[in-house]
Amino acid sequence: MAKYAMILNYKNCINCKACEVACKEENGIELGAKAHRIWVGTYDIEGKYPLLSIPSSTFYPSQCQHCANAPCEEVCPTHATYYDKNGVVQIDAQKCILCSYCMVACPYDARYVDTRTMSVDKCNFCSDTRLARGLKTTACQATCPTKVRLFGDMDDPNSEVSHILRTKEHFTLKAGIGTEPRLFYIK
Amino acid sequence: MEVEISRRRFLHGSVALSIVAASSTFGGTKPKESSHMPANAYGITKTSTGGVEIPTLCEICVNKCALLARVEKGIVTKLDPNPLFPKSKNMLCPRGNAGIQALYDPDRLKYPLIRNGEKGSGQFRRATWDEVNAYLKEKIVTILDEEQDNRSSFLFCAGEGMAEHTFKTFYQLFGSSNWLNHASLCLQTVVSAYGVTLGAYPFADLQNAQYVIMAGANRAEAIVTPDSAELFKKTQGRGAKLVYIDPRFTNTAAKADVWLPIKPGTDLAFVLALTYVVIQEKMYNLAYVETYFADFEAYKEHILSREYTPEWAENITGISAKQIREIAREFMLYAPKAIYYPGRRSTFSQSDFQLRRAMALFQALSGGIDTKGGLIFGKNLPLAEHEVSSPIYAQAKSRAIARKKNVKKGESGYEDCAIISGGGSWIGWRNRFLEGKMPYPVRGAFIYKHNPVLNMPNSAKSIEMLQKMDLVVVIDTMPSDTAMYADVILPECTYLERTDPVVSFAGAEPSIAQRNKVVDPMFESKPIREILNDLSQTISKPLFDVTKKYDEDVQAAIEESSEEAVYADFDISKAFEHSQEEANKAAVAKYAGAYEYLCTKGVFYPEMERRFKPINANEFQYYPENEKAYSVQNGKPKTASGKIECKLTTMAEQGVDAMPTWHEAFTFSVPEGKFRLITGRHAQFTQSGTANNAMLRDLMDENYLWINASVAQKMKIRFGDTVEVSGKVGKTHLKAYPTEKIGHDVVFFVHGFGSESSGLTLAYRQGGNDNAVIEDIIEPVYGSSIMHETNVEIKKV
Repeated sequence: MAKYAMILNYKNCINCKACEVACKEENGIELGAKAHRIWVGTYDIEGKYPLLSIPSSTFYPSQCQHCANAPCEEVCPTHATYYDKNGVVQIDAQKCILCSYCMVACPYDARYVDTRTMSVDKCNFCSDTRLARGLKTTACQATCPTKVRLFGDMDDPNSEVSHILRTKEHFTLKAGIGTEPRLFYIK
Repeated sequence: MEVEISRRRFLHGSVALSIVAASSTFGGTKPKESSHMPANAYGITKTSTGGVEIPTLCEICVNKCALLARVEKGIVTKLDPNPLFPKSKNMLCPRGNAGIQALYDPDRLKYPLIRNGEKGSGQFRRATWDEVNAYLKEKIVTILDEEQDNRSSFLFCAGEGMAEHTFKTFYQLFGSSNWLNHASLCLQTVVSAYGVTLGAYPFADLQNAQYVIMAGANRAEAIVTPDSAELFKKTQGRGAKLVYIDPRFTNTAAKADVWLPIKPGTDLAFVLALTYVVIQEKMYNLAYVETYFADFEAYKEHILSREYTPEWAENITGISAKQIREIAREFMLYAPKAIYYPGRRSTFSQSDFQLRRAMALFQALSGGIDTKGGLIFGKNLPLAEHEVSSPIYAQAKSRAIARKKNVKKGESGYEDCAIISGGGSWIGWRNRFLEGKMPYPVRGAFIYKHNPVLNMPNSAKSIEMLQKMDLVVVIDTMPSDTAMYADVILPECTYLERTDPVVSFAGAEPSIAQRNKVVDPMFESKPIREILNDLSQTISKPLFDVTKKYDEDVQAAIEESSEEAVYADFDISKAFEHSQEEANKAAVAKYAGAYEYLCTKGVFYPEMERRFKPINANEFQYYPENEKAYSVQNGKPKTASGKIECKLTTMAEQGVDAMPTWHEAFTFSVPEGKFRLITGRHAQFTQSGTANNAMLRDLMDENYLWINASVAQKMKIRFGDTVEVSGKVGKTHLKAYPTEKIGHDVVFFVHGFGSESSGLTLAYRQGGNDNAVIEDIIEPVYGSSIMHETNVEIKKV
């Protein structure tokens, strides 16, 4: 039993996409799809050459937010989406009927269709790959050149994740809608 | 007669090899275990699914980051960073992760191939290794016989890699004088400029720098370890101010504190103006300058009398005088924890050598040399070298260069550049070959891990050169555009299938690392060492027979002793008789336990067990702070004189400016209706080498032309429209990306796409080839290829 969470020091991100490739290699993600388990969000740059806004081109690495109140879990008619014992939002591909309610419900656009299994897929914190092998890091965390991510257990007061949440200012995405994400961005 | 004196001893020189002496033994002691680094913490580890993790080094680019390859049932299933390596600091970039696809690329070269269609048709037949070696023997013997044993009638060229030296040994023993490598297409000017000015090409201590000027080095996309990993954790108000200068708004600009677009090729004016400010305002480090500068007064007079003022530079560079003043003052305020980042990429412009000199001198004015937070020399853990005697062929001619006739005083003696470096001038050599200016016929080429068709300006000329050669031998892992013009292709295995020569990595935290074989070579591919061993065993004696026929020195020597005794010196295969593992063992024999560490953990440095500690889940201490080699000679430059060289008197005799000087010809200008084409690297691709990688292509499957959004709108070019980019030497097609991130008279696209090799089924004709368009302009000092002086036309098709 744990309460898994991830901290993102997003200001370190250089948009190199090492995380995306590591995730695909580790978890056997389908190639050719427009969406994946993990991505780096970017916006169109503000301004006209040569007066461009640097903050407007900040990179936002993201993935499933593993909400404590996950809309995707609530709307799933077949319970294909469920919480595991560590608070990780999981999908049972066998139960998924591809109704796509969850994809509409997710405020973070974190879900996509895997056309091989004909089910909805998303990040599961490498729980059936790396964590199952006893590793303590996700693929995206381990490979990152600038060390954006830190994965750990919020319930363990001695974990690095807990320590950082106690000592550094952080925020969650769309905090006002009550989803209670377990992904925390460092200010 | 004098000639009758035995000349046997003149018949061989020696070649430094990293090969083992037969008698050497491995007597290392077992590494001590410690609480911080239990024997199985990193390195060869069993996975819970019954697999194994093997430590090795990446080769998807030049960085050589350490990785752990997970192997399950003989299949490589994942590459993860190996946290033990101080250089790569527990990271693996997207390309490093995608290395598995290089191993399992269905298009990779699997068998030896012999051409059986028109040259360039891509038609080859499969051959056995014996067959291909016999074929090469016959062809090489015929050419050398016809050329009367002029060994230099073969060109040898190589791309960067840990086994480049192994291939170079083959070249040296073969006896040719024509060696060309990647240097003149890459960092020749920057390495040489820092070398002659500071005495070494330094490392940048970005971990401790508080102010960084980065110009023309896009470290968020052109990833260099550890620089990229260190810098971007600190920018934007978190420990270091980054002033980034680039005509494009890149990902590095997005991470910078200040981005200043500059007119391409005018960086020298910017640095000269920075220098003017610090000299005029006397902000430089007086003590450092007094102690370590040679000819400072001359440089000062040079800068001030030519009035390289910020106002002067504003007109040339497009960067305001106010900003130039501010940056110069800030730099000196933060010094010595301030870095003008040296960069390492290709040559931008004619002024490149002088630009890098001016950068090195500006850095030195701050005193930020060989000191924490500045440019540092670092420490090296030396490896043992072994020498074998190399034969000297009397009939072999010297390097095919063109000497100038009627050389005036203060002028270069060569036709195309001032100095002939070890790696040569690639485009100078190629063009001379095509223009019929070679002093003798060069009829064959051995090309190792190198892609001249795509990697240097004017692809058409590279193709013509390969077509005119009688015998082109390509050794590679992939059917590159160059391989398509080969007569014989020898398949090398990928880096995950071979052990390479052990390498020492200098720096503030020096270490030694080894590329270990992860899985056996697939198909009939082999490591370069084995390829050369087998080939040289086949050709060595027949080639000696040619030498015997024409070489009077050899004939005399045989008469004096015996053929057998003389041949012993001419046996090429002797350099490759030991395995790579034996060679590596000998190279590190002086460090107790090192070889075992390298094999089981991939990395070694002294007292690793004591020094290495986790800091947190992501970061590690390699050396305690007080044991890092930030300063190795108290700031003293490494030049022969022990001084910072402001004025290069000897180079001035070759027609090179003794001090960095601006010339009117360097001014940026583009005719109406045209654009300046600039090129560069990408975080997800390594030049043309990764173009066929399925995983990377999933991120971006072709390159796009960056064109200013307002300009594109006027030209009715929208995102995704195909455009033709054309210049004096050729044209290419690719899709458009209108953006505000580039100026009105400049266009950009990333290098490495637009392959015409039908063997690369994924990369074939995807995107545009920059070198089809870039003109082959030769840089005047080292003959490097100038990448950013081509103007192009853009047209929607």
